[in-house]
Amino acid sequence: MASQTLQKVDHSALKTNQLIIISLNVLAFILNLPILAAFVALVMGIGSALKIPGFGFVYKNLLKPRGWMKPDVVDDNPEPHRFAQFLGFVFMTAGSIALFLGATVLGWSLVWLVVMLAALNAFGGFCVGCAVYYWLSRFNLPGFNKQPPTGTFPGMKPGVGASR
Amino acid sequence: MSAETAEILLRFGLAISIIVLGALVYWLINQRLLVRASNNVFTLFNQLPNKPVLVYFTTPDCAPCKTVQRPAIDRVSNLLGEKLEVIEIDAYEQPDLAKTWGVMSVPTTFVLDARGEARYVNNGVARVEKLLEQIQTL
Repeated sequence: MASQTLQKVDHSALKTNQLIIISLNVLAFILNLPILAAFVALVMGIGSALKIPGFGFVYKNLLKPRGWMKPDVVDDNPEPHRFAQFLGFVFMTAGSIALFLGATVLGWSLVWLVVMLAALNAFGGFCVGCAVYYWLSRFNLPGFNKQPPTGTFPGMKPGVGASR
Repeated sequence: MSAETAEILLRFGLAISIIVLGALVYWLINQRLLVRASNNVFTLFNQLPNKPVLVYFTTPDCAPCKTVQRPAIDRVSNLLGEKLEVIEIDAYEQPDLAKTWGVMSVPTTFVLDARGEARYVNNGVARVEKLLEQIQTL
């Protein structure tokens, strides 16, 4: 595996983003509010464009300064996480459009898919979008040029088995 | 009850069902992890210490390990003294051991009873109260 320069990635910011996405989407489903699902899609889209976690501002401005969440800075590639958020944005946008067009089963299924993938990441430490990114990087697709940190299973949070 | 309230309740029930299903899957994965840990307990000891054991997987650059998990384990260790054995494993130094035990992230703690059966696994930070409760139920 080629050596590469890793960056400092605060996984607490990513986790906050995932937990807010989960909460708002579940709330949108319970209250039958497609507009709330569309809002989540919009924030994820803005986050993807700015290359930051969409709801990361909650962590940065509220949770971190008050000590309610502690930083969890890990040597990692930020690109796969951005790609994962972009994938989420695509699913959420498709889900929102489906909901507004009256295809409620398809729409809410896509929203729940995002909830489940975010939960898997937040509680299980496995980022499916990142795994897809690393899988695509094996085919040398343009823009997919990062490899998992050495010794880390693609998509898993670096730490265990990763080289120093 | 209005139709709108009934729909919200139905959706709430559905959401809870999906979440419970997800939690069930998570529980099954943890059970599998415990079986795996119990089967591999002799990768840590030649002879069982005949007291509860806390197996703590960490890495030097794991921030929550330093700020939360390490102090919590120190406190539990101080409270229980000789009644508990703590084994700390650096997953960088012993990646094969971490792999054998199915550890996917750090911190991860396993609570083993005196017979070497893995009874609890905590993926992520486990606070003092939780660890004490787990150890006391052994």
